[in-house]
Amino acid sequence: MIAKVYSSCVIGVDACEVIAETDTSGGLPNFHIVGLPDTAVKESRDRIKSAIKNSGFSFPSQRIVVNLAPADIKKEGASFDLPIALSILSSEGVIDPSGLYDFVFSGELSLDGKLKPIKGALPIAMSLENINKKKFVLPKENAKEAAVVKDIEVYPLETLKDAVDFINKKLDIKVLALNPEQLFRKSCKYRKDFNDVKGQEHVKRGLEIAAAGGHNVLLIGPPGSGKSMLAKRLPTILSDMTLEESLETSKIHSVAGLLSPNKGLLGTRPFRSPHHTISDAALVGGGTNPSPGEISLAHNGVLFLDELPEFKRNVLEVMRQPLEEGSVTIARVSNTLTYPSKFMLVAAMNPCPCGYFTDPKRECHCTPFQIQTYLSKISGPLLDRIDIHLEVPRLKLEHLTDKRRGEPSMEIRKRVDKVRDIQKTRYKDDGIYFNAHLESKELEKYCLLDKESEDLLKLAILELGISARAYDKILKVSRTIADLDGKDIIEAHHISEAISYRSLDRNLWG
Amino acid sequence: MGREKILIGKIGERKAQGFLKLNGYKIMKANYRTFFGEIDAVAKKGDFIVFIEIKTRVSSSLGPPYISVTSQKQRHIIKNALSYLKRYGLTDSNWRVDVVSVKLSYKYEVENIELIENATEDYEGGWI
Repeated sequence: MIAKVYSSCVIGVDACEVIAETDTSGGLPNFHIVGLPDTAVKESRDRIKSAIKNSGFSFPSQRIVVNLAPADIKKEGASFDLPIALSILSSEGVIDPSGLYDFVFSGELSLDGKLKPIKGALPIAMSLENINKKKFVLPKENAKEAAVVKDIEVYPLETLKDAVDFINKKLDIKVLALNPEQLFRKSCKYRKDFNDVKGQEHVKRGLEIAAAGGHNVLLIGPPGSGKSMLAKRLPTILSDMTLEESLETSKIHSVAGLLSPNKGLLGTRPFRSPHHTISDAALVGGGTNPSPGEISLAHNGVLFLDELPEFKRNVLEVMRQPLEEGSVTIARVSNTLTYPSKFMLVAAMNPCPCGYFTDPKRECHCTPFQIQTYLSKISGPLLDRIDIHLEVPRLKLEHLTDKRRGEPSMEIRKRVDKVRDIQKTRYKDDGIYFNAHLESKELEKYCLLDKESEDLLKLAILELGISARAYDKILKVSRTIADLDGKDIIEAHHISEAISYRSLDRNLWG
Repeated sequence: MGREKILIGKIGERKAQGFLKLNGYKIMKANYRTFFGEIDAVAKKGDFIVFIEIKTRVSSSLGPPYISVTSQKQRHIIKNALSYLKRYGLTDSNWRVDVVSVKLSYKYEVENIELIENATEDYEGGWI
């Protein structure tokens, strides 16, 4: 007999319909799965067999062929265990087939018949409307993440036995109803705050400018000066995620299996800080069936690269294109996928190999040649994409013992939000969102200078040896500073502050 | 093959057939010869045509009797079975291979007799 059960297969951050067809016929008892299964799917044979036996059903001693249609898409992962098991039971007549067709099933089986969480429940749930299905049966750990999608019914289940009883209408399972807005608001809390950081006021100011204008930042300072601490608090001053942004990012996290079962949605902007031994495939995404990398996991959030010069050079270079485009396309033989990757890059580094070059107290013992090699590990094109360089000096004792707390993130965020609104209205016809994305043509249009500031900029170019590349950066950053100040025309002090954020161009060392 | 070994095999087959009858198997053919070799017994149980391999041992120093039904041997049994099915036009029916493992004492009395149903089920890839 033939049985059909609907399921879904995740491709990138989307999903497509998969039908698990089972045919049982006479012959030597055997169990085959066809339809381009990968190893995890092939191994599901043994899981399914045990799960069916241990759920109190008998496994048919017949020749069983399971086909996962469409046959030309590579099927990955263990989420087909449940649909395959159900289609086998249905072909045996244990399940009433008429009750099956409204549902889409996903779930991994353990040997005792319990359902285990799967990866990518959210993209599957979002793709249901494309295939005209409304009812989604899945393991209860994944239920919350799927239930945030509107207009679908999510049925959380615990065991294979429950699934069979549910379809045969012997067991009543309640639809998990969630209010995504409410869930989202509840998880919108950061545990960190900028008022934890003592001193370093100018760095905070720099990060505020970066957050407001969407500029990428490089923090330079001796070890222990608080670079990581400051960077970790950057997401708290970025404007709150919208529900759409959260869904986009949650989708990527769902595919990577990083969503925690009781959360369902990401309420806070992601902060990813991969270790510097990371490979290029892990950073931008890759693998035979490309999976999302760190830059996609940091979508709508912050990617923090600590010890920037320690990263392998090719790893940093592959990041250039995604930084420009806000998405990354990974092409492999089996598949070509595009993952979104709009993130803010925050990098941290020491000024020299020993770390104490800019430290007034400790002596640096690096040779100029060593420093030169250290700095040259970061390529020009990558530095091009970083607008703000901030020097983070060692904290002074009086700051360290200061009992007063700094400005809380909430207050800073209010100012950031205001500037973001200004940019939104200003660039609504240009298709860009932030000052950081201004091209040279738009720079002329939007970055108007007064006489004094023009003179100052000319002087800076002459005296400090600032390159043409840095000139654009200074204009962009001063645009953001002027916005924070509420001014339309860029004034001299905006320019001078922007110049102070170009320390690597000013050849202070090396 | 030594005379004694043949004797042990014969005793085992006789005991196993009695055991199978008690378990509801209807034996249709015993020692069926094909081009590839011999099937110890062909029986019917329920909807299934069952091909039976009977393995007898006296000493357990090399493990229980069924251990010597290796995958190579299993493949052999299946070839024999297919040849039988083809001959009688039964290729669409349900069939399987069972193993009866008979352990004899040194006085050739039955010490233990075990039935393994569907003994060739778990084989990766195709059988033939």
